[in-house]
Amino acid sequence: MKAYLSTFVMRWKMELQYRGAVIGGVVCQIFFGLILVSLYGALYRSKPQNLPLEAVASYVWLQQAFFRMLLSTDGELLDKIRTGGIAYELCRPIHLYGFYYARMLAQKLLGSLLRAAPMLAVALLLPRGMGLMAPVSLAALTVSVLGLLLGLLCVCALENITMALTMRTLDHRGVMAMLNLLMMFLAGNILPLTLFPDSWQRVITLLPYAQLLDTPIRIYTGQYALAQAPQALLIQLVWIILLVALGEWLWARHQKRLIIQGG
Amino acid sequence: MAFIEVENLSKTYTLRKKRAGHFTREKSQVKALDAMCFQVEKGEILGYIGPNGAGKSTTVKLLCGILTPESGSARVNGLIPWKDRKIHARQIGVVFGQRSQLWWDVPVIDSYQLLRDIYRVPEAQFTARLQELTGALGLAELLNTPLRLLSLGQRMRAELGGSLLHSPKLLFLDEPTIGLDAVSKLQLRDFLLHENQAHGTTIMLTTHDMEDISALCRRVLVLGHGKKLFDGALPDLLAKYDTQRVITLRYADGRGLPELPDHCLVSQDGQDHRIVYSPDHLPTAQLMAALQTAGPIQELTVQSQSIDHLIAAMYREMDL
Ligand SMILES: Nc1ncnc2c1ncn2[C@@H]1O[C@H](COP(=O)(O)OP(=O)(O)O)[C@@H](O)[C@H]1O
Ligand SMILES: [Mg+2]
Repeated sequence: MKAYLSTFVMRWKMELQYRGAVIGGVVCQIFFGLILVSLYGALYRSKPQNLPLEAVASYVWLQQAFFRMLLSTDGELLDKIRTGGIAYELCRPIHLYGFYYARMLAQKLLGSLLRAAPMLAVALLLPRGMGLMAPVSLAALTVSVLGLLLGLLCVCALENITMALTMRTLDHRGVMAMLNLLMMFLAGNILPLTLFPDSWQRVITLLPYAQLLDTPIRIYTGQYALAQAPQALLIQLVWIILLVALGEWLWARHQKRLIIQGG
Repeated sequence: MAFIEVENLSKTYTLRKKRAGHFTREKSQVKALDAMCFQVEKGEILGYIGPNGAGKSTTVKLLCGILTPESGSARVNGLIPWKDRKIHARQIGVVFGQRSQLWWDVPVIDSYQLLRDIYRVPEAQFTARLQELTGALGLAELLNTPLRLLSLGQRMRAELGGSLLHSPKLLFLDEPTIGLDAVSKLQLRDFLLHENQAHGTTIMLTTHDMEDISALCRRVLVLGHGKKLFDGALPDLLAKYDTQRVITLRYADGRGLPELPDHCLVSQDGQDHRIVYSPDHLPTAQLMAALQTAGPIQELTVQSQSIDHLIAAMYREMDL
């Protein structure tokens, strides 16, 4: 276990070295957030919806703040796979899946925390209807943080599956771009899932992508009442188990047939 | 039972080639290792040599448990590398000359501490081992520097240290001296000899640097196209191809060479003359006499061809 913890700490340290990149990312994400909330504001003025505007704006800000939790790939890891540097990892007395999982967890957790903190501070200061609303209750806040952590575990499991597929193809860009687009759409980053037609929502919220950020955001904004929260968290948990199992299976299968590039 | 036992080990790669303009894929097969057999005793240093593409790295990867063979068997200290990968991993250390195992952006010591945790090296043992390696490899000033700031020679030392932190019984070195300068190479060789003698570490070394081989290995195994071509002592290998001598000489007055018998290859560099000949066809004494009668000699040396020439001749003869 210590090996995976140390790997996590190591990747965390590495991520800290890239603090400079955070500022650029934050500015960019705030810019997008402002455009989106202005757009929804204008839409609501001409055609009010039954979902409160504050909830939509909050949804947008939380999605933007945790953008890096969804979309961040470990370039170094991909390079290792492509060039054969992974050979070293295979010579170690470790479980490869766990090793990569620890790396991703560190990158996604720190990467999004560093960005979310300043962004959420800004979003809380914006006027009502444009900014981030306060959580509906302290209990809701607590449960949504728990949901966010489960979402993090879920997204790392998803990423590990993408990575396993990458090992097959070597040229990851095509597969990855497609999977990422699908994820951004179904996770609610492009358009809040709460604005989808009800019949769509019933299906989409059950998919793995909705477990990442949509579920915790709904708990935060009160779309999911506290009474519904246990069920929502349970769905997250089920997906984590399924996705980890699938990822493990894919890795084990590939490892047997693995060909390491370069001599 | 020998420490490493390889029997009829074969590995074939399947390449899928994309043909330009078509979506059809051609498959082609490369037999990288073809029924390889050898044994290595504990504490031996084996030089594993052959031209590019001979199958050296493939053998190393198989014996590390990274690849699964197509057929044949291998045992290292009783374990089958690709079946017992995780247990086997504890007893081996590997250096792939063209890759890095240390983390690029963080100080070397951080990578070492991660390796300590991965191999579960007890703290006291780690401290002692680190101290030993720091002394032997001159790592003191490198440990707190991020890897990306190190020179190639420093980096290789750091990499080697990383591979040995857990005191493996067996060390694989796949072209470790590639790109290193003379001082770094000498340091590395001294260190490897020390490691081998002090801890009885078995070493399997692939390299194109024949001086590495002659400095470190009493035994060499030559392979080509995945097949074993020679397995034995280095002097025995060389004796077979060591048929030529090189004379370098300069006359006191800087004059040119006299008329020489046939079978001599002559070249000149300023006032220095170089004569390559084969003692079997032209006895050295006869050649010397001819050179001496021409005038007073200031300097003269007789040498064997360089080891690189011998190996090149051997590869030529073996049709590699
Ligand atoms: N991943 C791979 N896919 C296909 N062919 C490979 C692969 N790796 C090595 N080969 C081929 O196998 C042969 C042996 O390669 P290798 O063991 O790397 O040789 P060496 O290390 O002796 O230079 C070469 O012909 C090489 O082209
Ligand atoms: Mg090689």
